[in-house]
Amino acid sequence: MNDVAEVVLPAVPTAGTASVDVACEPWAVQAAGVSSWYGSNQVLKDVDICIPQRRITALIGPSGCGKSTFLRCVNRMNDLIRGFRMQGTVSVHGEDINGPQVDVTLLRRTVGMVFQHPNPFPMSVYDNIALAVREHKPSINRDELDGIVEQSLKDAHLWDEVKDRLSGSALGLSGGQQQRLCIARALAVKPEVLMLDEPCASLDPIATGKIEELLLQLRERYTIIIVTHNLAQARRISDEMAFFLMGEMLEQGPTQQVLAAPQREETAAYLDGSYG
Amino acid sequence: MARLSFAHVRSRFWMAACWVSAAVVLAVCAGIVLAMAARGIGALEPSFFTTDPQPSFEESLAGGIRAPLAGSVILAVSGILAVFLPSLGAAIYLAEYMDEQKLGTRAIRLGLEVLAGVPSVVFGFWGLAVFSQPIFAFLSDSAGGDATSAFGRSFLVGALVMAVHILPFVVKVMEEAIRAVPRALREAGYALGLTKWRMIKRVVLPSAAPGIVTAIVLGLGLIVGDTAIVWLTVGGTMTMSGADAWWLPHNWLPVLKGTGSTLTTFIFYSSPAGEGNAPGKAYGAAFVLLALVVALNAFVAWIGRQRSIKAQ
Repeated sequence: MNDVAEVVLPAVPTAGTASVDVACEPWAVQAAGVSSWYGSNQVLKDVDICIPQRRITALIGPSGCGKSTFLRCVNRMNDLIRGFRMQGTVSVHGEDINGPQVDVTLLRRTVGMVFQHPNPFPMSVYDNIALAVREHKPSINRDELDGIVEQSLKDAHLWDEVKDRLSGSALGLSGGQQQRLCIARALAVKPEVLMLDEPCASLDPIATGKIEELLLQLRERYTIIIVTHNLAQARRISDEMAFFLMGEMLEQGPTQQVLAAPQREETAAYLDGSYG
Repeated sequence: MARLSFAHVRSRFWMAACWVSAAVVLAVCAGIVLAMAARGIGALEPSFFTTDPQPSFEESLAGGIRAPLAGSVILAVSGILAVFLPSLGAAIYLAEYMDEQKLGTRAIRLGLEVLAGVPSVVFGFWGLAVFSQPIFAFLSDSAGGDATSAFGRSFLVGALVMAVHILPFVVKVMEEAIRAVPRALREAGYALGLTKWRMIKRVVLPSAAPGIVTAIVLGLGLIVGDTAIVWLTVGGTMTMSGADAWWLPHNWLPVLKGTGSTLTTFIFYSSPAGEGNAPGKAYGAAFVLLALVVALNAFVAWIGRQRSIKAQ
């Protein structure tokens, strides 16, 4: 497994995003030899991966291949699952996230996460965003909080649609709006990495299009990792691509390169639609 | 064909049997409400609500239910105040922190089940025994001016015993409400960097609020409906012994430390089984009590409906 990763890792600047020189940038997220288990069931096998800063990296592969589990390793959401166990190291901006000094709540603020199904809190649009901000900065005044809420909603391309109903329940929004609210909520705590686990799985094509457009803009400021089943989506928005199969990360590289000339037979077969 | 039609007949028969059973339940329920209404509604004059009970051989002079009605409200509110924090804490602990495999957990669950099965008269008797100890004299008027013993009967004592009585039911409903908060919301809270307690406080409890309110209202219903605990621990006086003008704030503490009655003990007292012997008044009070309980149930149903509308 390691040899494959080593072949792929020295990343070439991605086509289409030539303005940033990847080689000069440190990795945002690095994983080395990550294996993990739920009970006795091994879900990740010796995964090595490097996620470049301020790019969109798509994790692709068939269901159950470990993409989501990997994502949940990065912000240690798997800690919440009884029987979960992990080997290897994951580092965010060079710091081992499982190190003894790591404050997991700080890690999760640095590495924001958006889930497969929109999960706004059953409270107002405003409170959905303000909740975590207030918790992290209890002394915040109202004006400052208003500013953060507005900016986060603008960054998530939702402000114009909800500015007149900030006190209305978030559950009254459409699915696509709810998902953008979840993105805004994650942005409000000022993360550096934004992870999205199939964020468009339950959305229609128009809502999906809005989220893709949004992610392309957010790329300028955030490192984005997106798990997707949708190859066309990965093609449209990602700079970098990593292919997972049966818990292994088989191939990583610039999206264009992986799509045009996959190094592994399994990747080629998946891209052809032979399985998945 | 013949077998098929037999199966049909059998199916129809069971459907009819179920329908009859349901109809019997409904008829019994309607019968009780109608009987209370028919006999009690005559007593429902304005003066019935504005006068205190007056012991009298003449039913027309026996007064109204002002003090018992106030007593029901006082006991229900103080009982809920006493039970709220302990039961919420226990429910959070059971739902969020406990390891179901551990012996201690099973012991707590068993304890709650036993508590739920204890008849209320036993709680009443237990409360009387405990709160008559001199150390609890501050909860009730001391007996005969003797500061070394306690009377053991007062609204405060009744509220504490009620709190113990309803605790398992309230904890159960609160725990279910907390457990029903979707995992997705908890994960969203954790993913924003909240600690477990912050996540519970800011995400789980607000999301479970309708269920927590339901638990409180069910607790109110249990307190309002209980007789034995009131009879044993709030005393058998039909009027407030603490102060006549119970509605004045400076009288509240004496009233809480004094004895009184609730609608249930008033019904018992006024019924032919009690000493009051004013069945018309008892029917009137029973009708008021039923209306209260129905209103509380309607409120719970309304909360449930609000919740399902919100969830859509």
